Amino acid sequence: MVSEEEFQRLCEFLYRRTGMVFTEAKRYYVERRVVERMKATAAGSFVDYFARLRSDAGGEIEHFVNAFTVNETYFYREEHQLRCLTGDLLAERLRGKPPGEAIRIWSVPCSTGEEPYSIALWLLENWPLVDQYEIEILGSDIDTAVLERARAGVFGKRALLRLPPHVVAKYFAAAGPDAWKILDDLRESVQFSRVNIVECAQTRQYGRFDVIFCRNVLIYFDDASRRVAAENLYENLSPGGYICLGHTESMSRITPLFDVRRFADAIVYQRPAGGVGG
Amino acid sequence: MLSSIKGQRGAWVAEGRKRVMVVDDAALVRRYYREALETAGFEIEEAMNGLEALEKLLQAPVDLLVVDVNMPQMDGLTFIETLRRQEGQLAATPALVTSTESSPKDFDAARRAGANFYLVKPISRETLAEFATMLCGIPR
Repeated sequence: MVSEEEFQRLCEFLYRRTGMVFTEAKRYYVERRVVERMKATAAGSFVDYFARLRSDAGGEIEHFVNAFTVNETYFYREEHQLRCLTGDLLAERLRGKPPGEAIRIWSVPCSTGEEPYSIALWLLENWPLVDQYEIEILGSDIDTAVLERARAGVFGKRALLRLPPHVVAKYFAAAGPDAWKILDDLRESVQFSRVNIVECAQTRQYGRFDVIFCRNVLIYFDDASRRVAAENLYENLSPGGYICLGHTESMSRITPLFDVRRFADAIVYQRPAGGVGG
Repeated sequence: MLSSIKGQRGAWVAEGRKRVMVVDDAALVRRYYREALETAGFEIEEAMNGLEALEKLLQAPVDLLVVDVNMPQMDGLTFIETLRRQEGQLAATPALVTSTESSPKDFDAARRAGANFYLVKPISRETLAEFATMLCGIPR
């Protein structure tokens, strides 16, 4: 359907817009979404579609980028990691931290905000120390369009499907047909910023976090950028801090910098507490 | 009419609901306290710091203040001191201080500022509702 050269041009375009690297090996994944968007826009051929994409007719770039991200994201995704956060990770991070100190959590990439808001909701619902520490939650993404939507905090029913109904009732207000807006207190409790995780000049300015959620993005990078991203994230962790990846991802394949930790609910990676690592 | 707070939210008739202002710079904490108190039947107002609280109180008084200590612009103790110097009934608004600090000198400082009660964080939903009820003078 798409020639090799066309595929490469498309991948270059995607890389510039999202930082995601797609190789021939991911061709099926990319093509499936192209077909989806060609149908939605009634494009007769790939050439027509690509022209539409590049001219951003009808905001097609955003639709296209979203086809790679939004469908996959929803509240309380990988809930076992959230259970691990409140069950084990925070308890470990609090050791030696006096009450009132900051607990810093980074969701990157955060897409349209479901993940960082899920963290805030989860803490409110499940962590009895929520008022004892200063909780800072930062959501970052390379794509400014999704960040704008994250800041707006309006979600469709699909994004909320995994949330218990009483949680939806407590923290969301109806904002139109199939639109639910998260309450202002929750919106205020999460900060959003644009970050490309392969650019250390950008990641460095955010300082060190106790826990980083970086799910399902490294799989889209090539080996070199994956290593760079992992090293950047390592620098963004406090010694002893944790990073949670998507359930199909493995840090051990990327870099030996982190220790693997197995908890009751999840496997996570830890920046060694003492040394500088690697 | 106000015989019990053990009933569910909305058990009180509207004009009988006590109003509580939660003063805390952390949005998550405000939400947590709001929820605990709303569930217990209180009506909630929020402020991000002492200055905003004073401004809002001048517009509409409340029955109880739940006040964090460390806040930007105006901290909790300065806010309570300032409040106690106001004219009229406003000065007498009961204030429950919530703080992560737990040393006797912190308790003393709060008492000197004019706090009525002091709870050390973390505070469970039940505890907060219980002390708010007590400080609002609601018979149980």
